[in-house]
Amino acid sequence: MNDPAPLPLVPKGDNNLNTDTAVMKKQKKGSKLLKLLRPALGVVVLLYILFRLYQVLIVQHEYGADTWTRLLISGLIIGGVYALIAIGYTLVYGILFMINFAHGEVMMFGAYAALYSFWGFKLINIPGKETNFLNAYPVIAIILAFLIGMTVSATLGYFLEKIAYRPLRKAPRLVPLISAIGASIFLQNAAQLLFSPQLRDVTNPDILRRGVGWTIVINGNDVILPYTGVFTFILSIILLITLFILVQKSKLGRAMRAVALDKKTAALMGVDVDNTISRTFIISGALAGAAGVMWGIHNGLVYYYVGFIPGIKAFTAAVLGGIGNIPGAMVGGLLLGIVESMGPAALGINFQLKDVLSFVILIIVLTFRPSGLLGEVLSEEKV
Amino acid sequence: MKAMKFLAVFTVLVVLLTACGNAGSSAAAPEVCETDAFGCAVFEEGDVIKIGMGAPMTGGNASYGIDISQGATIAMIDAGNIEGWTFALDAQDDGGTAEGGAAVANKFVADPAIVAVAGHIFSGATAAAIPIYEKVGIPMLSPSATNPALTTTGSKVFNRIAFTDLNQGNNAADYLYNTLGIKKLAVLHDGSDYGKGLADIVAAQFVADGGEVVDEQAITPGETDYTAVLSTVASKSPDAVYFGGYTAEGAVLVNQMKTTGLENALFFGCDGTYGEDFLTRTGENGEGAYASIAPASPDSEAKATFNAAYLEKFGKEAGSLSPYTWAGYDSAAGLVVAIKEVAVVSGKKLYIPRGALVDAVRTLDNFVGLSGTFTCQDNGECCVDKPQFVIVKDGAWTTAD
Amino acid sequence: MKNSIRQSIRTGVTFGIVHIFFILIAFNSMISVLIAKLSGIKNPGEIPAPKFYIAFTLLMGLWIGIAALNKKHSLSVGKKLLLSFTTSLTTGLMAGVLDVLLAIILVNKVFIRDFLTVLSFDFIKATLFGMTPVMGTIVTVLCFVAAGVAGGALTILNRTEAVQKFWKNIISWFKKQIEKIQYLSRGKYHLFWQIGGISLLALVAILLPMQWGSYWNYVFGTVGLYVILGLGLNIIVGLSGQLVLGYIAFFAIGAYTMALLNAPEPHNLMWGFWPALLLGVLLSALSGLLLGLPIMRLRGDYLAIVTLGFGEIIRILLKSDVLTNFTGGPRGIQNIKGPMFFGIPFNSEVDFVYLIFAGVILAGFVYNRLKQSRTGRAWLSIREDETVARATGVDTIKYKLLALAIGAAFAGLAGGIYASRNQFTGPDEHALMASINVLSLIIVGGMGNIPGTILGAFTLKGLPEILREFANFRLLAFGALLVFMMLSRPDGLIPSSRPKYDPPTEPAPEIDKKEATHGK
Repeated sequence: MNDPAPLPLVPKGDNNLNTDTAVMKKQKKGSKLLKLLRPALGVVVLLYILFRLYQVLIVQHEYGADTWTRLLISGLIIGGVYALIAIGYTLVYGILFMINFAHGEVMMFGAYAALYSFWGFKLINIPGKETNFLNAYPVIAIILAFLIGMTVSATLGYFLEKIAYRPLRKAPRLVPLISAIGASIFLQNAAQLLFSPQLRDVTNPDILRRGVGWTIVINGNDVILPYTGVFTFILSIILLITLFILVQKSKLGRAMRAVALDKKTAALMGVDVDNTISRTFIISGALAGAAGVMWGIHNGLVYYYVGFIPGIKAFTAAVLGGIGNIPGAMVGGLLLGIVESMGPAALGINFQLKDVLSFVILIIVLTFRPSGLLGEVLSEEKV
Repeated sequence: MKAMKFLAVFTVLVVLLTACGNAGSSAAAPEVCETDAFGCAVFEEGDVIKIGMGAPMTGGNASYGIDISQGATIAMIDAGNIEGWTFALDAQDDGGTAEGGAAVANKFVADPAIVAVAGHIFSGATAAAIPIYEKVGIPMLSPSATNPALTTTGSKVFNRIAFTDLNQGNNAADYLYNTLGIKKLAVLHDGSDYGKGLADIVAAQFVADGGEVVDEQAITPGETDYTAVLSTVASKSPDAVYFGGYTAEGAVLVNQMKTTGLENALFFGCDGTYGEDFLTRTGENGEGAYASIAPASPDSEAKATFNAAYLEKFGKEAGSLSPYTWAGYDSAAGLVVAIKEVAVVSGKKLYIPRGALVDAVRTLDNFVGLSGTFTCQDNGECCVDKPQFVIVKDGAWTTAD
Repeated sequence: MKNSIRQSIRTGVTFGIVHIFFILIAFNSMISVLIAKLSGIKNPGEIPAPKFYIAFTLLMGLWIGIAALNKKHSLSVGKKLLLSFTTSLTTGLMAGVLDVLLAIILVNKVFIRDFLTVLSFDFIKATLFGMTPVMGTIVTVLCFVAAGVAGGALTILNRTEAVQKFWKNIISWFKKQIEKIQYLSRGKYHLFWQIGGISLLALVAILLPMQWGSYWNYVFGTVGLYVILGLGLNIIVGLSGQLVLGYIAFFAIGAYTMALLNAPEPHNLMWGFWPALLLGVLLSALSGLLLGLPIMRLRGDYLAIVTLGFGEIIRILLKSDVLTNFTGGPRGIQNIKGPMFFGIPFNSEVDFVYLIFAGVILAGFVYNRLKQSRTGRAWLSIREDETVARATGVDTIKYKLLALAIGAAFAGLAGGIYASRNQFTGPDEHALMASINVLSLIIVGGMGNIPGTILGAFTLKGLPEILREFANFRLLAFGALLVFMMLSRPDGLIPSSRPKYDPPTEPAPEIDKKEATHGK
């Protein structure tokens, strides 16, 4: 028996493979140049920023300590709100590598739940006391509002996953993204049709009115630290720690991390992948719901479009901190908030450009640290 | 796939509907139709006279489109009929963009039952739509497209009952300086065509009057936390803050002024911050806030009737979705007046000569609406009176001195 | 069987939720209005006569009855009818409960419109078919059950041999016709048929725009522009695998270049259409390159947010106070002059359709050539696995930048034509949703191929226009459609075939008998 002639290693015809070493050397030089260009650009922008800072802070001395304190408080509170929304975002991304575009809409429904809960509580009159349920038992009312909001949003998250994402788990990455976008558009318009496009303000219980807080006197001016703002900030920290403990210490958390690392192996190890993913979405939904209720209490404004832009900002914050990284969501959120509040004042530019500034900072951060400030933690890089 | 089949059949049905939706008509017509530059629109018995409206009905600005179209719908009911032919509003979603505006305009132009357009609502959509209507002779009466350039194109069909920025801005600045005695003014706007236009004019006029503009800032619309901007404005200690923009942001600004060091500054808005919504959302914080509106009594009897009808039909207070509810009514009602002027009944048909209608709208004279009295000029500007200033007192808008 | 019953109850509950949702957004009113118009009533108003609401309920029941038998092929007729009955009964009962709640609201005159806007008293009365609450509820349940069983019966009928054969005959007839055409185009006179076919298409393309009215010209023009955009984004996302979410920024640059160079304000430059178009394309390509530099090292989804940010930056800058003197600010730019062809104005709507057709053909040609070239193959290898591509010697940086530049150039072309056609452009035209629209259209249509992009553009841009009958439900339907399309055809309507490598199966070469005896 004779062996047939060996098959050619490389198919006949046009050979695309560039194995010429001279060419490869040239490529290396080219890419080296480009590699230098990037950090060079980043350094240039940084220098400009530092220069502007010097101008505004040292030379022109425009704002007093009271203004800076106000700006800092603003920044931390805005950052707290972003962090709150980003936590849910980053959880889903860390487990499923999926940008849940509909996260903002889930939050919006949570905000509506808060709106109607408080509205309903206000209607209940307590016999014997002069006031209504909302003001008679504010703490209970707030806790109830949170529970209702989180339940509504968690349920929504569960059904969202079941209908729009689960069948697409094996599809290429872009397909669930479009499905999420479709779901987001659907939910926005559903809210508009159900509840009308009217912009509404949430009525807080009297003890937690918006705009009221502790007063600090700086430079002879009153600087107010709003109660609702502090509440937001503390809540985001609490949720962050809770989630962190959940993911690191609990059985469900272990299952989540396993699924994030390698779905098939996790399934082989006995993890119920479908169940884990469902529960991830439920938790993410609950987090979005909490963010929505808090949004209603602190920012007050509720309408069908209210989740869209904060959703994108939260995504930016999550990326800034390292997407998939839970403490990163907090760091990213706070950084974003501070850049938005203090940035324009510090650089002497118009506040209209604050989003431009945020994205420029994002690009700079990602230029020097491509996986975000705190890097990715939940799993290795997926190729 | 069953569902796909169902969907396909359904889509085909809808396409057929669209194609067959409109019936044209043709017959011997009165003389005026021969001589009219654009011919006549003909209505058989049972047909409805349609007035179109291009407005954002979905997306972030849907509240404006929905509110204005609802106001106009009531005008259609109040319009009654011309010897049996009733009126109807055809409100289509243009998204507030030029692309949408042109699409809607093209759709209206293809519908022979549409004789006039109350719109469009946003300036961008209007700008793209004007040349399309110009070719066919469909007159426009916009309640809210305020870009000054729109009336400088020499268009014969475009008219508006909205203020120009020049009119509103100059008068507001004078009022601030002369009547209220404000010397240091901070000017804010929301970056929109409307808001920025106003703010720039107010700033310029205020300086010309002799005042000092201590800060000019633009906010990003659609947000809920403006404490940072307000803090920096507060550091300049203005006596008043002028805001060019809409209630959505204006209410937030007013609420947050108290906590950022601007407790003692006056808030001066524009006709975009006027309305029920502003009062509801600012509550106590809104006491003492100003706005400028077209010269009409804030509480006339006609307005009260309208408010009641609006509430009954749509379940919301007039002015709670946008400040332009009454202007929406007026733009449609004004068109109805013009249509009634030129319509001719002959035989069993109704004829509306389009060229004559264009002229009739252009020559609207002393039309008394809910939001003001309008007389259209040669360039299409119909609101030429000075604005009236109102202030919030005890939770309601009242005329300011 | 018990399992099937449980399943049908679950289906019934799902449909019940859908039905309740429909009622709460007044979808039943809209369908009733549609049915009324179809039956000849010219002006049914917002709340037509109760019989049309009954018609709506019957339609829902029919749908439910058919859906209940989805995937249930092997049961007996009786059992199938039972399943339809169960499902529609469940939904009917849920609808009945809703009716009772609505009746309570009606009777007690509760003003609930602050909470759910559609629930005016007139609407509730119509949903109860104008009858007393008790009658209305009973009729609702009965309608559901009756229509459900009818739907089930229809499905059973449809699945009988006779009907199935009927469908098969129709489908095979269509297939035969297509085969005939294909045969003709490949047979002896194939050249004749191909040229004939193309000339016919060209004739249609030239004559049709003059006939079908300005609305369709506008819509198809828009679809054409989005095809060009889709092809450009296909190069970036589909071929080279970079997820760019801010694509509309390049469109904006093309549009603004055309606008700034052709309008009396703000600069009064009046350079003319063609130079401005060319410049717009070049500037867009340049900005594609510039965007590429910081993002080379970024992975998938980081890329998405950075490019999204870039899109936003461009939009905000165009709108900002700072640059108003240069860009016209939020006002936008008016009165953009149209194209001139050797001194003759070429700016009627028909001319623009021709222009856009030409642009589509150009874009399609470039795309096709690129895809089949070495560059295209390099892109595909980068998309599949960047690390391996680099290892095999593909200069990933060069090719990724090239993809961005060329994709951006396409967008610049579309942008220039768009601005000229609308005679107006402004910063709000170029928002995030537009980028998302383009991305949706290439994924729905099928990434990486031209027919897919065309189909996607038709679906996503043409469909909302056709859906205008749905008025306020347009975007709701659109969102649902996106999800639905992804669920049913995740590869897109016209999926791309991946290039395969088949090892050659040559027959064993002729062996010289003499040689063979050596070796061993």
